[in-house]
Amino acid sequence: MQASRNKKICVYLGAALLALVIATPVLWLFIMSISSSTHLTTLPLQWWPDEPTFENYRSLLIYAENTPSQSFLYGIRNSVIIALAATGVSIAAAIPAAYSFSRLPGKRRKNLLYAVIAIFMLPPVAIVLPMYTIMNALGLLNTHFALIIVYCSILLPFTTWLLKSNFDTIPSDLDEAPIIDGANRVQAIWYVILPIARPALGAAVMMAVLLAWDEFFYGLLFTNDIRAKTITVAIADLAAGRVADYGLISAAGILAAVPPVVLAFFMQKTLVSGLASGSVKG
Amino acid sequence: MASVSLSNVTKTFGTANIIKGVDLSVGDGELVVFVGPSGCGKSTLLRMISGLEEISGGEIHLGDRRVDHLPASDRDIAMVFQSYALYPHMTVAENIGFPLKMAGKSKREIADKTREIGDVLQLLPLFDRTPKQLSGGQRQRVAIGRALARDPKIILLDEPLSNLDAALRVDMRMELARLHRELGATMIYVTHDQVEAMTMADRIVVLRDGVVEQVGSPLDLYRHPVNQFVAGFIGSPKMNFWSARSDADGRLVLPAGMALSLPGALDPDQAVTVGVRPEHFVLATDDASAVLRGNVLSVEHLGSDTFVQLDCGFGDPGQIDINVRLAGIVPVRIGDGVSLSVAAVENWHLFDADGVRLDISK
Repeated sequence: MQASRNKKICVYLGAALLALVIATPVLWLFIMSISSSTHLTTLPLQWWPDEPTFENYRSLLIYAENTPSQSFLYGIRNSVIIALAATGVSIAAAIPAAYSFSRLPGKRRKNLLYAVIAIFMLPPVAIVLPMYTIMNALGLLNTHFALIIVYCSILLPFTTWLLKSNFDTIPSDLDEAPIIDGANRVQAIWYVILPIARPALGAAVMMAVLLAWDEFFYGLLFTNDIRAKTITVAIADLAAGRVADYGLISAAGILAAVPPVVLAFFMQKTLVSGLASGSVKG
Repeated sequence: MASVSLSNVTKTFGTANIIKGVDLSVGDGELVVFVGPSGCGKSTLLRMISGLEEISGGEIHLGDRRVDHLPASDRDIAMVFQSYALYPHMTVAENIGFPLKMAGKSKREIADKTREIGDVLQLLPLFDRTPKQLSGGQRQRVAIGRALARDPKIILLDEPLSNLDAALRVDMRMELARLHRELGATMIYVTHDQVEAMTMADRIVVLRDGVVEQVGSPLDLYRHPVNQFVAGFIGSPKMNFWSARSDADGRLVLPAGMALSLPGALDPDQAVTVGVRPEHFVLATDDASAVLRGNVLSVEHLGSDTFVQLDCGFGDPGQIDINVRLAGIVPVRIGDGVSLSVAAVENWHLFDADGVRLDISK
């Protein structure tokens, strides 16, 4: 009894510490976003503004040409398009790839998997120049398409690996049974394997969207105006002028976090369900 | 329903020969059981018939159609997996209806057929549950229901009862036997449990190291095993074996000193292995009929039977040489000296140095 209570206290302390570490910067970001710029630059520092204001949010969300709101709103639009498209394409490709790596035999197949992971580990700096040259030659710079392709190359190894490790835990009887029942391989994956792997699929989608949403390096290099600039680049642009409005930047940061948070909220049920129990013995 | 025939079917994994040329035919509506020790290739052979495993050589026919080149989904075969392999995200009804859905049947047809099967297997009250809400026996019935859904030509069962507890296993065994009678389906059943094999099979196929050792009815295998392996594998407790020689007249010299004349079986001075089933011994009424003498090492009284373990001095002292199953309650005690005889000449089994049966002419 005593031991279990101590254990509980430790667990809660740990969780509280983790929450503190993660939440403090966000909280500070929020405080900055509702402070006026004069407040942020006066000394001594004020922890809470005298007159909290949502002016920064208003100036970002109400569209007006040639203002920060234009680049911010276009950035959100571009990021949504690019992140969702890149996620969609890479998940669609990762499912058959992961199934093949997990289920089909062959030594060369396994080697290919390690090659994919090795490439994934290359630092972006190492490959950005040839990629830039290729995109330039194809006339794809400053388009959504360029970033979708590049992001797929980042997301695909990751999602494939994640799904493959999950498929590995599904007993092989469960893809043989549908074959016996008259399904072809694609139907077996669609009707049996994917529903069972739904939590992992949800996690893969989540992580892929987040990776694409947060990507900065390629976004910075391959885009140059509101037609394709992603939100991360748009926020950086706010700081790049001669006067950096920290309140505005903070508000943009908070707003940019909203779409992923909403996504996570809707997907959490998928993420935490354990479906594989009860199918086979044990 | 259809017959199955295998001719010279082989399977190799790399350099390992798993199935070494199996010829077998299973008649329409027959229930054939594959038995053998683990690793003998019985499950592999079943998977080759199902199409889940490709064959390396030979031919497989279902009815008059050659199927070894067809994918599993086109062979019109159903299979019950050892693990049940139920779809965890589907209800019982959806599980049973899945093969029909894959066959492109209408919703109505699926519902009707599913209900019909649910009725036969008493699954109707469970139709809306998912597999994890079911007990082992219920899951087993759902797996069988799914196999029956498409009215398949052949039903393959891969150790379907091995995950159930003993009592349930007996029930399900009887249920499967009943289904087989009612449906008249051709069934191939893999098990390592020879009681299942003996009680359910029309014919038993005994496999060892990828080779069919013997095919025959349960009692045929029990009475006339073709070699020492089959003799030892079929029957429980297993057959007793000991080494012996024949004398100059071709008579079998028994440990108790007596020489037994088994007409036509033995050459003079031939080394043989003698086999007698535990239940074929009786206590010798007089010294002249005794074939074996030994000291009792242990006694188990089951009421209906008495199991006695004897040290007959074949090996080290204190080693169990012979198991005996005597009918009823027999008053023997540990340490007693016991003489045994064998009632009938057909209860003797003789095997040559290669383990092949030597026929005893009547």
